[in-house]
Amino acid sequence: MATTATSVGRFGPAVRRQGAVVRRNRRTGLLFVLPGLLAMVALVVYPLGYGVLISFFKTNLVNQWTWIGLDNYANALQNPAFVKSLGTTVVFAVGTVAGTLLIGMALALLLNQEFRGRTFFRVVLILPWVLPEVVVALLWRWMYNPLYGIVSYYGSTLGLGTEWLEHAGSAKVAVILTSVWKGFPLVMVLLLAGLQGIGKELYEAAAMDGAGAIRSFRHVTLPGLAPVLLITLILESVWWFKHFTIVWLLTGGGPVDSTKVVSISIYQTAFENFQWGRSAAMAVVVFVICLVASAVYRRLIRDEQ
Amino acid sequence: MSSSSSTRRTRTVRLTFTYAVLSIAALAVLAPVLWMVSTALKTDQGIFSSPPRWISGELSLEAATRVWSVYPFLRYLTNSVIVVASSTIVSVLFSCLAGYGLARFRFPGRGSFLTFLLMSQMFPSIMLLVPYYKIFQTTGLVNTHAALIVTYVSFTIPFCTWMMYGYFRGIPPELDEAAGIDGASRFQTFYRVVMPLAMPGVAAVAIYSFITAWNEYMFALVLTQSEDMKTLAVGIGQMVGQYRTSWNDLMASSLYASIPLVLIFVLLQRHLISGLTAGAVKA
Amino acid sequence: MFRKTLAAVLALATTTTLTACGGGGSGAADDGTITLKVMSATVVEKPEGDVERGFADAFMKENPNIKVEFIGTPMNDIYARLTTMATGGDLPDVFTNSPEFSTQASSLGIVEPLDDLLGADYVNGFEKVPLDQARLDGKLQFAPFFTIPTGLLYRKDLFDKAGLQPPKTWDEFRTDAKKLTVDTNDDDVPDRYGFAMVGSNNGSGGSRFIPIMRTFGTQELRKEGDSWATGFDTPEAVSAFQLYGDLVNVDKVVPPGPFQTSYAEAVALMASDKAAMMVTGPHSIGAITAQSPQLEGKLAGAPLPSAPGHETASVLGMLGFSISNQSKHKDAAAKYLQFVLSKQNQLAWNAKTGRLPVRSDAAADPQVQRPELKGFVEAQKYAFQLPQAPFYPRLQVIAAEGYQSVISQKASAQQAAADAAKKTQTEIDQAG
Repeated sequence: MATTATSVGRFGPAVRRQGAVVRRNRRTGLLFVLPGLLAMVALVVYPLGYGVLISFFKTNLVNQWTWIGLDNYANALQNPAFVKSLGTTVVFAVGTVAGTLLIGMALALLLNQEFRGRTFFRVVLILPWVLPEVVVALLWRWMYNPLYGIVSYYGSTLGLGTEWLEHAGSAKVAVILTSVWKGFPLVMVLLLAGLQGIGKELYEAAAMDGAGAIRSFRHVTLPGLAPVLLITLILESVWWFKHFTIVWLLTGGGPVDSTKVVSISIYQTAFENFQWGRSAAMAVVVFVICLVASAVYRRLIRDEQ
Repeated sequence: MSSSSSTRRTRTVRLTFTYAVLSIAALAVLAPVLWMVSTALKTDQGIFSSPPRWISGELSLEAATRVWSVYPFLRYLTNSVIVVASSTIVSVLFSCLAGYGLARFRFPGRGSFLTFLLMSQMFPSIMLLVPYYKIFQTTGLVNTHAALIVTYVSFTIPFCTWMMYGYFRGIPPELDEAAGIDGASRFQTFYRVVMPLAMPGVAAVAIYSFITAWNEYMFALVLTQSEDMKTLAVGIGQMVGQYRTSWNDLMASSLYASIPLVLIFVLLQRHLISGLTAGAVKA
Repeated sequence: MFRKTLAAVLALATTTTLTACGGGGSGAADDGTITLKVMSATVVEKPEGDVERGFADAFMKENPNIKVEFIGTPMNDIYARLTTMATGGDLPDVFTNSPEFSTQASSLGIVEPLDDLLGADYVNGFEKVPLDQARLDGKLQFAPFFTIPTGLLYRKDLFDKAGLQPPKTWDEFRTDAKKLTVDTNDDDVPDRYGFAMVGSNNGSGGSRFIPIMRTFGTQELRKEGDSWATGFDTPEAVSAFQLYGDLVNVDKVVPPGPFQTSYAEAVALMASDKAAMMVTGPHSIGAITAQSPQLEGKLAGAPLPSAPGHETASVLGMLGFSISNQSKHKDAAAKYLQFVLSKQNQLAWNAKTGRLPVRSDAAADPQVQRPELKGFVEAQKYAFQLPQAPFYPRLQVIAAEGYQSVISQKASAQQAAADAAKKTQTEIDQAG
């Protein structure tokens, strides 16, 4: 807000007005934020706090509460199955994020041009995002079925075998494939939006300097996209690291435990073994990992700039 | 002369390449969707054809009609519409207010609030089931629309606030000042001057909230108890029974469930791109 | 507009901080009607749901002042949901319970012992085997509703045509399965397989493997003094894991995709004539004929084969109903249960769903002895009591992971068995 030029002493009218303006600024600002803040406090702080709290207990949440301090954390981190599931989750998340990013970026670049039929393609390519996750998971599960599924059918004619979900390696690929299919439209749209914000003059200047497609991509597009890329990367990584539905419905974590991502471990520990304290500890570990990852991302991308 | 014809050639090459790649991608997207349609139109016996066929036996509408008669599908649909539309409206409202406040004012805790929003996305949602249930049980809201509305609002506010924050920053503050000089209060400025310019961003955020809430399964499952409160996602999830999976019913109902989303997207997709542009870039 | 927004915000805030009395599952309206909330896993299934709703309707007709409201929950989710509701102190009056869950339910303190509520005379009218398994420390945890004893379900018509009798040993089983794996159109791919194995890595698969393992003569878990010991590392267990591996990889009598085959898929395989046998209970007969009416009369059951010198085994697969100890209408609930368990209703349940009755008066009826059910009635005699350890569900998944690693040839049967034993031991140690 502009301040008035004249001031008459510390308690002059102009300064008083400015102070009042600043104070009203803060108050109005807070008022605007208040509804969102209240909602989030009630619905985020309490559950997070609750989750962290029960991670220090051995409990069934109803009538048995035994304080065991950090035991749940020790058990979880020393449990080879849990550590393995963290590794599996990293593989899954990296694979899916890489897939959605590459495909999303490629399609966004293509859709950034002007040509006939652009709207048609935009709408069609959005479809996987629009379908519910449960539906996509079950659809692909049916498609992967060795006897009745079309992926197996066409896959076998291409020599890729019919039992995708039966073997550890191909099950991982199958799960990532389905997730990428589901997830690329959101990335594509975010990046396409970011591309719209990069001025044409920059490309023209690069072209005049003799830069080809690849060099202008590296020196104009990527830097221009960097803010969008950062938030997309963070959100995508966190979302896919926490992901549950598609993997659970496709394989349930199998074969054996080769696709057992950490959210499945958490789910089973809580809802099938009823070990709430332990699953809460696992959830907190996941939270910390996501926090660290996003901090690392921000550091990395800021350095590049 | 030669340069323009070579430019034209380059452009043709590029266009052909573009169409080719996009067509392959479109095919990869449409093939599974068409398989859904083909399965939905099969008879109970026709589903299990090995090797799989796109059309096995005759086309049958039995699954397509059974979905509406055997399951309380209309009820599921109604619940989904009520819950998702309400949560989208509330979420958009709150995130516009918050986004504007964050973009225009300086106040203590502003930075922390932004970071806090991001952090709230990082806890595995499964663990939130029990505390959320307790909140609603304490307030007597279990098995009500209100419980799901509040839940979905809490899920979508963080992303939406970030996006609206970025988008408002892209609207020049001079407009606010001009309105202020004309005598408008801060809120009138927000409502009459800035918001209309932000409609694309609002559309973007609305679509995201709508899709996210419509698709959500786990919390809807836990927070609804009676048949007449279940949402589409839960109803569809139930078709994979303990004892029986009716694939054609499942595909038919899934297609029905997707139609509203596709319609909404088709209507708003113009706004979507320009909306997310400024929001994402400035964030 | 701003004021309106503020008002809306305050309203929302007030709603979310309102502390109403939660608790109790039912209410009594001013006109004296009692509402019973029944959380049932069977009411969401077809055709079970229609029959169960029929019982409730008939009950409400006879008792106009009692209203029965179902909270239908799929079996997969019911225990998670009950635990969640228990944490909120907000339980239904009646809920589905089972031997698998009764230990957990009891430790949550939500179960009302039924001996007094139902009366000793009534309780004596239950069949002995189910009744015993419904007790914990001598107290009746739930009223048994039905059993679906695990046995071998087979295509009697195919067996007759091939001149085969239901196998008594696993070697016979393998031979029979191989004979029944046929390629009818000469394309080198079998069109029907001998055995639809449920090989998924969850309770569905594990709960079938465990009785099979028992027929080899070892127990996955047994009580040892105050604690437990596992039999997963015995040579008998190794043989069981080996059997699973061989059926898929050596005999090749299992349709492709055993890991994706849960119960529902196995039923589909039987219904679409892709398999000749599966391990399941009598309820599957109805499920299969519902999908394929032409298989009516062609299915029959038999007790599971066993290893030479060992007895067959079975799991009751029993479900029953518990009354919550927080219920305000326990007597009405008890009345409802007795109504559902009347001889007439037990027989109707059996006729429509194939599940075996648990009340002696109904069990003696010739309807239950019909040919397709005879094998399962026989198998029920060999049903073993599930070890009442709170971590028991975990063992089913452990077993499943074991056989999956053998089938996928990532581990030998020896290693898989040792692994399973180790994991089980961890559970035993951490539970103590």
